[in-house]
Amino acid sequence: MKNIKEVLAENISGLHYGNRILLPFKAEILKIVIGTHIITDFSKNIDGASIRVTDFYTEIYFYEYKNLEEQLTKYEVIKLALVQQGEDIFNFDNHFAIELKIESKHKLLIEPIPTDLLFFE
Amino acid sequence: MNKNILFFILLTIVSLSTVNYTFAQESTHSKNNIAVSENNTHTVEHELPNTVMVIPFIILLVMIATGPILYPHFWEHQYPKVSVLLGTIVVIYYAFFLHNTTSLLHTAAEYFSFIALLASLFFASGGIMIKVDKKATPILNVGILLFGAIIANLIGTTGASMLLIRPFIKINQDRIKPYLIVFFIFIVSNIGGALTPIGDPPLFLGFLRGIDFFWFIEHIWYIWLPTLTLILIIFYFIDSRNRDIKASKEYTGKIEFKGAKNLIYLAIILVAVFIDPNVMSWVPNLAPSPIGLREIIQFSVVILAMKTSDIEILKYNEFNAEPIKEVAYLFIGIFATMIPALQLISHEANVLGDKLTVGMFFWSTGLLSGVLDNAPTYLNFLSAALGKFGFDINIATDVKEFMNVDYIFLQAISVAAVFFGAMTYIGNGPNFMVKSIVERAGIEMPSFFAYVYKYSLPILIPVFVLVWLVFYF
Repeated sequence: MKNIKEVLAENISGLHYGNRILLPFKAEILKIVIGTHIITDFSKNIDGASIRVTDFYTEIYFYEYKNLEEQLTKYEVIKLALVQQGEDIFNFDNHFAIELKIESKHKLLIEPIPTDLLFFE
Repeated sequence: MNKNILFFILLTIVSLSTVNYTFAQESTHSKNNIAVSENNTHTVEHELPNTVMVIPFIILLVMIATGPILYPHFWEHQYPKVSVLLGTIVVIYYAFFLHNTTSLLHTAAEYFSFIALLASLFFASGGIMIKVDKKATPILNVGILLFGAIIANLIGTTGASMLLIRPFIKINQDRIKPYLIVFFIFIVSNIGGALTPIGDPPLFLGFLRGIDFFWFIEHIWYIWLPTLTLILIIFYFIDSRNRDIKASKEYTGKIEFKGAKNLIYLAIILVAVFIDPNVMSWVPNLAPSPIGLREIIQFSVVILAMKTSDIEILKYNEFNAEPIKEVAYLFIGIFATMIPALQLISHEANVLGDKLTVGMFFWSTGLLSGVLDNAPTYLNFLSAALGKFGFDINIATDVKEFMNVDYIFLQAISVAAVFFGAMTYIGNGPNFMVKSIVERAGIEMPSFFAYVYKYSLPILIPVFVLVWLVFYF
């Protein structure tokens, strides 16, 4: 199982199916920005998103989207603030800001957010 | 109930729009007929619309105001159908029951002029990138807001907002707070653009009706300047209390600009505004086609900008055509459904005449511009003000006489429509666009009501009361 740093360095992709994305690492998600929705509440609430971390991946379900591929344009990305599971979550140096790009054939590109792009954790 | 109050309730319910015609004076036309101008020179009479036909307009306005807040998912997916359906009802009524296609053609022409300007500004400015790598200070922020207010008159409040919101957020990244964005909306997305028809959509609609391009700067600058100064002073004091936390990076002080060719597109759009048969006699009149030479040029700029804008800049700007698509669809419905509303308002204004004061026009135009879109509101009240003096909004010579003789009414309506557009997120198109860009960056913005009670009511309303006391009381 790769960690976030390795996934970014090796350009490993995730997956997307409908309103579900799968990330090839184990992470604590702190914040998600998708479209104009800012999601920080990951409790069992039906609004927003829910997260499940397995031994092999982290998956996120977006309740307010039926199909991410259809609903996000080619210039839009999903932005995440997250921490590798097991790392000290309270140390800001461990926080990552990544963007997810929806590609065809269920491919999900995972990249660090460029410094030019606006993202506030 | 007092007839004046009834009249303004009608405006309140109905408001919004861009009429094409007004009623001729009762003394010269029958009570149940309206005069519709053809080529601004002569009029033909058509039957007065049934008041029931105002209902589609009311439904659309209520849905525009409540949809994004109360039922966002339905609205997000269904607004094009809702808008087109409601517009179609009125179009069928006019075409098959009133046999009044002249009005429909006028409305179509006005719609295309409106959307050609907005779309071209939107696409051209979307391909421009400004990066400012400086540390924010209250003075620098005031400078950026003032700069935005000035250029809003050249590239529109939409263009200026799109161009400056990202650098404004970026330089404030270590001290970002919602009030920074709210003042940006107040100044750059609204009040700044009061000096030219390009500045804000309502004024452009007035220009299309025959108001001189430079009338606005000549008659509004002395209201614009103190209002802007006052709001900037308030901003400065609030911003001075926002103490920096430790900067997260070293600043180089560099300012970077990319997308020069899109500046040329903006210049073309600006020049094209004047390419109108009513402004330049050599310009061919393509009537009855609803699209003229100006619109052809501006739509060409849209295509050029789409094809040639730098992909990297579009990505940096997270460019998304959704906002302009939304405006295009919603205004199909607004332009069509407002036709009967405008006719009724003009008619009532003509009947009530002297009882309507300039203060009433200022507050009614303003308050409705805040809760509805300010562009159609402006035309409704312009139509009413013209009707009050027995003028016809469809006849350019009437509009020109009105703007010179009774300019204070036109001034009050123009100032109110632009300034009060800042009162809510839905008051003016760029407000929601700025909110959307900011939220995509992960910054929580105040809710619709929090924006009003935390910012608009305590800051803008006292300033607007001052404007009213000084100029229209």
